[in-house]
Amino acid sequence: MTAYIVRRSGLALITLLAVLTLVFVLVRIVPGDPAQVILGDQASREAILAMRVRLGLDRPLLVQYFEFLGGALRGDWGVSMVSGRPVIEEVMAVLPWTLELTLLSLLIGTGVGVPLGVVAAVHRNRLPDYGARIASLLGLSFPPFVSAILLLLLFAIVFPLFPVISATQGSLSAWLQAITLPAINLGLITAAYITRVTRSAMLEVFSEDYVRTARAKGVPWRAVVWRHALRNALIPVITIVGLYLSILIGNSVLTEIVFNRPGLGKLIVGALNQRDYTMLQGMMVIYTFMVVLVNLSTDLAYAAVDPRVKLQ
Amino acid sequence: MSLAAPRRAAWHYLLAATLKAFNANKTSWVGLGVFLAVAIAAVLAPFIAPYDPLEQDVLYKLRSPTLQHLLGTDSFGRDILSRLLYGARISLLIGFISTLVAMAAGSAIGMAAGWYGGRFDGFIVQLIDVLLAFPSLILGLIIVAMLGPSLTNIIAAIALTSLPAFARIARAPTIAVKQREFVEACRALGYSDARILGRHILPNIFPEILVMASLWLANAIRTEASLAFIGLGIKLPAATWGGMIREGFENILDSAWLALAPGFAILIVVFALNLLGDGLRDAIDPKLRGEG
Amino acid sequence: MRRPFGLLGTVAIAASVIGAGAAFAEKKTLFVGMASADAGKLDPHLTATTPDKGLLNWMFNGLVRIRPGQASPEFIEPDIAESWTSNAAGTEWTFHLRPGVQCHHDYGEFTAEDAAYSLRRAATKATSSFSSDFASLEKIEPLDKLTLKLTLKNPAPGFLGYLVNYHGGNMVCKKAAEEMKENFAKMPIGTGPFEFAEYQPQQFVKLVANKKYFRGVPQLDAIVYRYIPSNASRDLAFQSGELDLIYGRQEETWVERIAKLPGAKVATLELAEMSALYLNTAVKPLDDIRVRQAIAHAIDRQAIVAFKGRSTSRLAVSVVPSGYLGTDEHAPLYDYDVAKAKQLLAEAGYPNGVTVKAIHTTLPSMQEVIEVVQAQLKKANINLDVELVEHATFHQKIREDLSPIVHYQAARFPVADVYLTQFYHSRSQVGTPTAVTNFTHCSLADDDIDAARVEPDPVKQKALWKKAQDKLVKEVCGIPIYEQLQVWGWKDNLDLGYELKGSLNLSPPIIETTHFK
Repeated sequence: MTAYIVRRSGLALITLLAVLTLVFVLVRIVPGDPAQVILGDQASREAILAMRVRLGLDRPLLVQYFEFLGGALRGDWGVSMVSGRPVIEEVMAVLPWTLELTLLSLLIGTGVGVPLGVVAAVHRNRLPDYGARIASLLGLSFPPFVSAILLLLLFAIVFPLFPVISATQGSLSAWLQAITLPAINLGLITAAYITRVTRSAMLEVFSEDYVRTARAKGVPWRAVVWRHALRNALIPVITIVGLYLSILIGNSVLTEIVFNRPGLGKLIVGALNQRDYTMLQGMMVIYTFMVVLVNLSTDLAYAAVDPRVKLQ
Repeated sequence: MSLAAPRRAAWHYLLAATLKAFNANKTSWVGLGVFLAVAIAAVLAPFIAPYDPLEQDVLYKLRSPTLQHLLGTDSFGRDILSRLLYGARISLLIGFISTLVAMAAGSAIGMAAGWYGGRFDGFIVQLIDVLLAFPSLILGLIIVAMLGPSLTNIIAAIALTSLPAFARIARAPTIAVKQREFVEACRALGYSDARILGRHILPNIFPEILVMASLWLANAIRTEASLAFIGLGIKLPAATWGGMIREGFENILDSAWLALAPGFAILIVVFALNLLGDGLRDAIDPKLRGEG
Repeated sequence: MRRPFGLLGTVAIAASVIGAGAAFAEKKTLFVGMASADAGKLDPHLTATTPDKGLLNWMFNGLVRIRPGQASPEFIEPDIAESWTSNAAGTEWTFHLRPGVQCHHDYGEFTAEDAAYSLRRAATKATSSFSSDFASLEKIEPLDKLTLKLTLKNPAPGFLGYLVNYHGGNMVCKKAAEEMKENFAKMPIGTGPFEFAEYQPQQFVKLVANKKYFRGVPQLDAIVYRYIPSNASRDLAFQSGELDLIYGRQEETWVERIAKLPGAKVATLELAEMSALYLNTAVKPLDDIRVRQAIAHAIDRQAIVAFKGRSTSRLAVSVVPSGYLGTDEHAPLYDYDVAKAKQLLAEAGYPNGVTVKAIHTTLPSMQEVIEVVQAQLKKANINLDVELVEHATFHQKIREDLSPIVHYQAARFPVADVYLTQFYHSRSQVGTPTAVTNFTHCSLADDDIDAARVEPDPVKQKALWKKAQDKLVKEVCGIPIYEQLQVWGWKDNLDLGYELKGSLNLSPPIIETTHFK
């Protein structure tokens, strides 16, 4: 087991370095001079030279590379060109908002998606299955911002039931009101995804020998499904959901824009509109760390739970 | 017996298998039909669009549908239907080219990884996993932000986000086929790696790649629209679905048509492609059909 | 035995009761909705953006002020200064400050030392965007704790106007500014009815009542200035009651829609901001006057006013907004003639058209205009390539001389000298040490502007100003388009405490008597 952990962690580290290198290359792949791109066509020579020094571009490429890597690994992820605050500080300020939306959406998604997936698997190729599959496919096809706008239209404009901008007061009812529509938006899309994953996992399990044995032995179908099959199907489901977490954070960008919620999404878009390149670069690095970490933890957790993996 | 025979048979088999897959699941026909309808409308846009998509009519802003403007007008008085048709061209063009590029490059990388194996393979697998975990939107967003929103950059960014999936899909079957006897025979005969990969392995993995292609085409179209919604699409005043939705969102209290028309257009196209890909996948993968 | 409601139900009921209870308590916090995505620089001597100025309006006083609700210099009244005298020539001004004016956050009493410091700061290029307004200041002397003497190089009868709570006239506190240096722009300290409390980037700035305000404790406890760039979100929040006062969309449809809402008021205010395109005459292809003329001929001003709606906009008349002292109300602006535009382009060597770039803001009311202009220019084969950036970023980039065409929308103190100097005098050229907002690299009107400023005879002064405007219009340094009134909406239950006709700082003043009915 330890050998597995070490090997996986090693690979994760190499991947981290690879993606960081990609980030580094990306910023410098810009045809021409990054300083010029930032400053625009009309910039004077002095302004460009000053910007190059500021970005550290006047030093040899290899030196820049190692400085960048070193900084990234040390936790120095740059400073915003606009606010002057460290990128990590800006990210930490909005992270709670994104996390609460993500987790609530995950909750809704699982609460709706898992039962639906089980029902679809149990009634395979009959009406409930078709219904669930069409519904989940529809949910997956909705661009998150279109569904957000629809929700806004229906439940904030046509039927003014929910507030439009997020609350700044701390009361529970205000918080609930503000987060309901965005959470439902992301939650339903997540549910669509989880439904499909659960369905295929359940179908995999149903074809296992021990299920046939249990049925042959006369164990009631209900018990087989909910107590035995589901528990085993949940393992791959949890794995995939864990990996989906990062995708969820990405989708929250569009929902945050529509519902005017603070969060990582709005931070990225803000950095974009303000041409805050150091902020964008820093956020990419942070995101990479996060993704690699989540992947590694999910891998290890999966290995701990599923004995078959250890033998590889 | 000549070893050339399997090659021809392989592609014939491929065609037959594809048709069978289509027929097994009627929904794939529906998906294909809808998608083709949209594609044809897009191609014919210059002929069927009632107005120039860029022509403004400042006194006629944000009107509801009338006989003259079947879907209404936007905030500059431009005809929504015409802009929708031209927007389809951009969405489909970007979607197609980026998926094609991703398919070609991704499959090549995946096959190479599976074929050569070893540490190269292990590294590629890790890289694929990490890149797949990056949401297409964030990756695409950052690339386009750095490079600027031009047609080439957007295509490149979206291609990059789809590439890992194709690599993964191409890799596993490559590994499986690699170990079969006739491959040993080919190698003994001195066939080059490329020839073996191209003629024997590629036809085997092609169905899966096709399924992946239609699903990722849907994803590409959705990503392009999302990028345009954020403001990273083709620059104004070009008509893009995402850009129209952005504008429509700003003006939603005056007229909801501007946001809803392109919104449903995206939904329909993406849904059709998902139906197509899903139907094909179900037909190809026996377990999901409930057999085996 | 089933328990009624259950735990979740009880929590929900309790929450709604608490929520309802909160609603019944008297409303003392004002929620304002602004169209930009974030604050820019919150330093009254530095910022030129409408969103920032609107906020700072509520935090600062001047030595004098224009009566709240008015925008014309005829309504100047005492503010920090109780009274003042000047000599006959208008070169010496003595101000008597009132005692007991307190700086925010316990920075002490505001004295003539603070006033002197503030004016020096406003007159220095490094610390102020408006230093050129004070070019005629020769000496600033605090005579004692509450008396300030100003000596001018030459007589300037309208000089009092520069000392209202607007731009450089805003009074900052010395101790705070010296302590905080550049950080002053993150936590500005003044003497006004509301003081800075909190800033959440891209979300809001919170102000709380200045309990030591010299006119009395404000009836409102706090103001939350929320940044909501999305038009729809802002309007909906206003409709649903989450916002009490919003920066409106400067167009007819918005005014009509909000006016129809029960319980809402709309106001269109002077000063109108003039929207103009400033052309960099030093870069290709704009260095050729024929290209500039072509652009001028290709713009249909009437159509733009029709697009925006007549209740909130009107045609521009000259390179200076209409109604200012010295404006040439009938300047020889280029007429709309697309054929002429194409012909001029062909003469200049561009028979197939030309491409010009512009960096532009995403501020909705301005972005709409450039999109209409872009379509109009296209008809004359002029391709306007627009790069969109956030409002504060836009203001920064254009001051680095990075945009060949600058679409700027501004109002200034209503005397022609101010507008002409800031936008057309070579001293104000961006990229130079004395930069203000001249994006044109034009200097042909310098002599007339300088002569007019010191001319004592009002008739001759106006003639000089007219001459300057004519030259600038003919040379196409700038293309005036239209004038935009400020549009704000607020709830009926908000009593501003005065009658609102106009505002120099472009936002309704929130003063100590503003309250909810």
